[in-house]
Amino acid sequence: MKDLREHTRELLEKGEIAAVIGYRQVSEMRTKPVIVTDPADAEHLVFNEYCLNNLAVYLTKARIKALCRTKDKTLKLAITAKPCDVHSIVALIQENQIHRKDIHIISFNCHGVVKDFGCEFNGDNLASKCITCETHKPLYFDKIFGEEKETPKASDQALARIQELESMTHKERFEFFKGEFDRCIKCYACRAVCPLCYCQRCITDKAIPRWIESSSHQRGNFSWNIVRAFHLSARCTGCGECERACPADIPLTLLNRRMAIEAKRSFSYVSGRSLETPTLVGSFNEKDSDELFM
Amino acid sequence: MMEEKIISRDDLLKICKDVIEKGHTLLSPGIAEYNVVKDVSQIKLDASALPTKTSYKSYVFPKAEPVLYYKRSKSDVQLIDVNVDGKNIIILGAKPCDTNSLNIMKHLFNWDYSDEFFNLREKHFITIGLMCSHYDEYCFCTSIGLSPVSEKGSDIFLIPLDKNNFALRIVTEKGKEFIEPYSEFLNTVDETLSRQVTENVKQPEVAFDCKEVHEWLGSNFENPKWEGIGNICLSCAQCAFVCPVCHCFDIVDEDYSYTEGRRMKNWDGCQFGNFTLHASGHNPRDIQSKRYRQRVNHKFRYYVDKFGEIFCTGCGRCSRGCPVSIDIKEIVSNCKD
Amino acid sequence: MNNIYMPHLAEIKEIIDESPDTRTFRLRFKDEDTSDSFEFKAGQFAEYSAFGDGESTFCIASSPTRKDFIECSFKVYGKVTQALYRLNKGDTIGIRGPYGNWFPLEDMKGKNLLFIAGGIGIAPVRCVIDNALDLRDDFKDIPIICGARSVSDIIYKQEIKEWKARSDLKTVITVDPGGETKSWDGEVGFVPAVVEKTAPPSDNTAVILCGPPVMIKFTMPVLTKLGFKDEDVYTTLENRMKCGLGKCGRCNIGNVYVCKDGPVFTYAQIKRLPQEF
Repeated sequence: MKDLREHTRELLEKGEIAAVIGYRQVSEMRTKPVIVTDPADAEHLVFNEYCLNNLAVYLTKARIKALCRTKDKTLKLAITAKPCDVHSIVALIQENQIHRKDIHIISFNCHGVVKDFGCEFNGDNLASKCITCETHKPLYFDKIFGEEKETPKASDQALARIQELESMTHKERFEFFKGEFDRCIKCYACRAVCPLCYCQRCITDKAIPRWIESSSHQRGNFSWNIVRAFHLSARCTGCGECERACPADIPLTLLNRRMAIEAKRSFSYVSGRSLETPTLVGSFNEKDSDELFM
Repeated sequence: MMEEKIISRDDLLKICKDVIEKGHTLLSPGIAEYNVVKDVSQIKLDASALPTKTSYKSYVFPKAEPVLYYKRSKSDVQLIDVNVDGKNIIILGAKPCDTNSLNIMKHLFNWDYSDEFFNLREKHFITIGLMCSHYDEYCFCTSIGLSPVSEKGSDIFLIPLDKNNFALRIVTEKGKEFIEPYSEFLNTVDETLSRQVTENVKQPEVAFDCKEVHEWLGSNFENPKWEGIGNICLSCAQCAFVCPVCHCFDIVDEDYSYTEGRRMKNWDGCQFGNFTLHASGHNPRDIQSKRYRQRVNHKFRYYVDKFGEIFCTGCGRCSRGCPVSIDIKEIVSNCKD
Repeated sequence: MNNIYMPHLAEIKEIIDESPDTRTFRLRFKDEDTSDSFEFKAGQFAEYSAFGDGESTFCIASSPTRKDFIECSFKVYGKVTQALYRLNKGDTIGIRGPYGNWFPLEDMKGKNLLFIAGGIGIAPVRCVIDNALDLRDDFKDIPIICGARSVSDIIYKQEIKEWKARSDLKTVITVDPGGETKSWDGEVGFVPAVVEKTAPPSDNTAVILCGPPVMIKFTMPVLTKLGFKDEDVYTTLENRMKCGLGKCGRCNIGNVYVCKDGPVFTYAQIKRLPQEF
């Protein structure tokens, strides 16, 4: 922690970065995002198992970008990112939303985070994305802190549920999602926390024509949640923020992860893993399988 | 009016069973939301449970409801009115921070014009509150004049005396009418028993003074704090939608064929960027800091000035659920620093 | 059940194309009883429905003293105004209202009335002008300053012609710089500048000022400079509305709901509000 604070303080003092997007401890088992611009505030920064937020969501916000613009030059933005959050940053760079050179990535050796604030860190309370995580070391970084530690063991219930859904008939699966989406209240927290939902104007806010009904009845909820899953297919990096943010406890991971599995199976593509490869939806290969086209 | 009786858990469940059999809707708190009870064995009646993630306002003010249907022919239009069915909804085990919510919303839905969609449902809503023995870092009912033992808004209020028995306080005429047919289950009780429980209940510390917050908000419209919060807030409406009193809505038309459709009244939230966006592109609250400032001001200042009541119940749902951990209690408690 | 969201149906009796993107509908309620009982005051607004696309808020542009029809004018901007624009003579629309407060013409008796309007803001002003003209003897001088972006954007051309022809009115029309044509014989300049240049006398005068938020913002200080008292300047706020009934929360600024406590406010009242309009 000392290293993190010293490092960011130094960068801020030297004027190399405009701000640090980081975590601040608010109580024993809770942190919250913080944007540090004053070197003196670097002492609040932390990194631990309670750093749940994927801070990459802030990188595309106009108000945060504005912090970096000074009279004569554009300063870098530092971000503290878990190795999985780095995937989102990579995806944003791949999609030309940010430039690698503008971002100073401070990452960590990660052994998992809790599924929710207020939970003790152990196998039972491990966030579901951490159970299957293969990147305990970030793929890209400018500075890395933290020791390597063993991730607690836990069983992959999400995958089991996906398999369970696969084995259902169409009708059963429809009924399952109907029950889940019924609770949707269209607060769009899923969209708000998603680093890849960076559209200036979301399709659901468009009224002429209205593609997605704004009412949160069955049809409106289905069209919103399914369209969002489509828009995120082969883009979602699986950070799970949407599911964590959902006040209605809708298991959005089941949709997004299912799409990710398909992208990997059909195109050997995993989102946010390489700065060198183009995005799947942004590139065309004539040898690509077309069995997914309806 | 106030009358106190004792009732056993089993008898209470017998009442519930009867209520369901009579065709009324019975609600009871689950984890994410208040659920419609189909089987009384689902009912927990646990005073120490966490508040549900969403409130029960959707049963009085649905998240999406039609206000009229229309049919179009070449140049003519035919309108079909909607009627709200006056079905009784009984809510069992509502938290004291939830029970007062309809009383607060009532002002808004009835100043000058009466929204009968709300009123009719509210009229048929019977609230059975349950004392609350849970609190966490987000709770602040005591700061806005409520408490874990507040009967405000309850028609009947329950206080757990032991594992199997509840003190049952009949608070309103509506409550009395509801419980009368079940008087065989009610027995007389020594009222000191329940008083002992309520006096010893753990209460969240008072975190702020509403008058001070009101005053501070009046003179700190341009405080740089708002910008700091606006930088973090991601503009979802989670806070407004889980809030037991937030009532903003949108009115939209929905065609379901070329000639037919309906007009919907849908929940909306002041944190959305397009909430106040004019068709011309002008937006009075164009940035997030202004929108968050509006939220806090509306809760602790504007509504108080307009309707004489704090627009909050202290349930802490907005903070508990906020994806970026913005804590309204923390903000208003520290407003002066 | 009394459904406050239920509109009255009205037929479009006449369509007047005011400018390439602004239209006026002359409307008559389908139900005779509503026609007779529908009463409003100058400055009030209504919610107009294009069924299938929704409702939009405009002021009632005709005068309450002319009772056989009501008129509304709208500029094509969003979903609903586009839908309304597609309608033809004889088609049906919905009207809910009248809502909100009004310009207190009663209190202005014996005073000069200064009207300042910009763009589509001329619609509510026209209602008050027509109303005042029907009661012409109650008021002293009536100067009118109207602005539009360009010559082709000037609406109510017919009415303006009539106002100009009257000797008991003083009408000044201006277009924004660059919006003039070769044959334009009116003023060229933004409304605040023209107000400053014309410098109408401020004593015993009530001002009725309507227009886009930016015009109001810059005209107010000019009026103050010319000696107008904040209490004598009446304007309307144009916050986005949905219900018009003080329920939906959209038009809330400070402790007022523009749809119910407004839309007419004096500059003195506006100064006390948070500046969110």
